[in-house]
Amino acid sequence: MIKDSPRFEPFSQKPISLLSESGEWIAPFDLDLDEAALKGFYRDLLAARLLDERFIKLQRMGKISFVAPTAGHEAAHVGIAHAVKRGHDWLFPYYRDAGMLLAFGVPATEMMAQMMATKADSHKGRQMPSHPGSQALNVFTVASPIASHIPPAVGTAISMKIRNTGQVVVTSFGDGATSEGDFHAGINFAGAQGAPIVFVCENNRYAISVDYHKQTAAENIAAKASAYGMPGYLVDGMDVLACYYVMQEAVERTRKGLGPVLVETQVYRFGPHSSADDDSRYRPTEEVKAWKQRDPLMRMQRFLEKRGLWTKAWGDSLRNEINEAFSVAIKEAEAAGAIPAEWMFEDVFKDMPRHLKQQLERWRSELSG
Amino acid sequence: MSVKSATMLKTTYREAVREAIRDAMRRDDRVFLMGEDVGKYGGCYAVSLGLLEEFGPERIRDTPLSEAAFVGAGIGAALGGMRPIVEVMTVNFSLLALDQIVNTAATILHMSGGQFNVPLVIRMATGAGRQLAAQHSHSLEGWYAHIPGIKVLAPATLEDARGMLWAAIEDPDPVLIFEHAMLYGQEGELAEDVAAVDIDKAVIRRAGSDVSLITYGGTFYKTMQAAAELAKDGIEAEVIDLRSLRPLDNGTILDSVRRTHRAVIIDEGWRSGSLAAEVSARITEGAFYELDAPVARVCSAEVPMPYAKHLEEAAIPQLPGIVAAAREVLGTHV
Ligand SMILES: Cc1ncc(C[n+]2csc(CCOP(=O)(O)OP(=O)(O)O)c2C)c(N)n1
Repeated sequence: MIKDSPRFEPFSQKPISLLSESGEWIAPFDLDLDEAALKGFYRDLLAARLLDERFIKLQRMGKISFVAPTAGHEAAHVGIAHAVKRGHDWLFPYYRDAGMLLAFGVPATEMMAQMMATKADSHKGRQMPSHPGSQALNVFTVASPIASHIPPAVGTAISMKIRNTGQVVVTSFGDGATSEGDFHAGINFAGAQGAPIVFVCENNRYAISVDYHKQTAAENIAAKASAYGMPGYLVDGMDVLACYYVMQEAVERTRKGLGPVLVETQVYRFGPHSSADDDSRYRPTEEVKAWKQRDPLMRMQRFLEKRGLWTKAWGDSLRNEINEAFSVAIKEAEAAGAIPAEWMFEDVFKDMPRHLKQQLERWRSELSG
Repeated sequence: MSVKSATMLKTTYREAVREAIRDAMRRDDRVFLMGEDVGKYGGCYAVSLGLLEEFGPERIRDTPLSEAAFVGAGIGAALGGMRPIVEVMTVNFSLLALDQIVNTAATILHMSGGQFNVPLVIRMATGAGRQLAAQHSHSLEGWYAHIPGIKVLAPATLEDARGMLWAAIEDPDPVLIFEHAMLYGQEGELAEDVAAVDIDKAVIRRAGSDVSLITYGGTFYKTMQAAAELAKDGIEAEVIDLRSLRPLDNGTILDSVRRTHRAVIIDEGWRSGSLAAEVSARITEGAFYELDAPVARVCSAEVPMPYAKHLEEAAIPQLPGIVAAAREVLGTHV
């Protein structure tokens, strides 16, 4: 729903929270979501968490070579996915956004197949794990070079403005990404051209081992918006409803033609940077423990419980149902089989040029010879 | 390489690079290392592990995540009298600093009439083999070798991993060092007190009279294996390790081809417009009448590097392809 007067003030000193740690509604406005919607948020949070757990398990089993863990980012993921129009608006996510894509409607089988690079992988085995995307759902495929997706995201938003489609773009990235030239160039461009885009920084305080204070001398990322001529919102990224309501306002603001918005969600990465990382090398375990106390799932659970919307039985059955769906998805992804190596010659260009046809032929004959 | 001591130590390519950095930092307090995650983390390929503890955060500097900024700042620090070693995680991300490398580092001495030279060393990983897909796995050193004004090195052996860095630091010009990502774990022995090595000569790593196999970096060991394979059939392949991609050592290449009359170039870069193409052109220019067969090339398939293991393996030069290409130029192909 669209409010005429904004609910939130940009550039707050403290992050915007709507739920207290104990799950009380502490917002200065009335909750206007029904029970089904609230339970839907919890369901998506849980699915995101379980997807992460499953990926890590598959990686340990040797079925996936690499994974970028997402636990601790779920409230941002789900808040964003619920604030945009599925299949209408565009997402330009980054590699730590699996939960966002799942909540946005990317099928679990596709997610699993992307991780395992089987024939069911829409990317045909060409992307690293944790680099999904979906043309059908307007989700741009994840880029490895940090922040490189931001200028294209701005350009897509400008195309929407030119064509007057009423769509918006949401692009997400980490705190480290805000140091790259592509971030500054892209966000400045969006401001200057009034692109309908929301920039979301999932600030988990680390870029691999480099902590926030080495990344920037700015007090927070949201503050950077002011120099680019747009509002910047600082949000408690462990509070899914705060993420949702702020995102919803940002998305509808930009949809109305009022220009871009920067949102900073203060999250935390519970796990290592990737399956190849040992985070104990650079951050204290007490810090990790303290942040885990602020688990976004637990906060939403407490909130629902207080309203009589969460019981252990319901939580357990939901968990089983999601896990079962993932097991089926994994089976489907694996059943598709391995990708034929010669697929690599396709899609370099829309039509295979002469020189590649020759290389493919030579490659085939070397195999048979 | 000049070896002063006979004491040999077991080590790895990774440790050899680390030792080279440590040695340079001890010798010259103008030397410092900067890049992403080079501090506590020890670098994305663990090369600088332990150096922060030894030299402190002023000299082992974690930077904000901006290749353009830390490469550009490296140029500036070199102008300011320091001897920076900049680490870029991979050549693929060096593209974010391409303007600084190509438009500033490579040109500024010339454009300023010789006033401003840039004694900067930039190290980076290159190449495929770790299932990191197209945006992490390309071999773009051949591109850089196209640029006048920068020197381009590709250490393949432990001696070069250890010895090239000091020579690069002493060089008054910008030097790019490409460390193939699959070489870091390479084990071997190294003399205890190794000295700097030259950074402008190719080296014959295996002598042979039947065919010259010319390579560098990541395909070096595969090529040595191919030579061993060919030897089983009585074919004596000469293996040339280019080591320096700019300048290229014409003399060593042409001398070899004049003796063997046949050449195969093995390069993990793509074939079209590649370093292999440059070497081939030089052979044609300098030894055409000595050739008994057309020059052959073994390069990567001209596709963005795929992720899946079997696709990645199929995309880059492998042992059977190198052996087959050598047999073909020898006319012993079956
Ligand atoms: C241009 C570029 N440089 C370096 C890297 C290597 N790298 C991968 S992830 C990462 C850290 C990114 O941190 P941040 O943006 O904060 O996101 P987070 O991983 O914390 O979610 C780095 C340096 C890269 N992928 N791209």
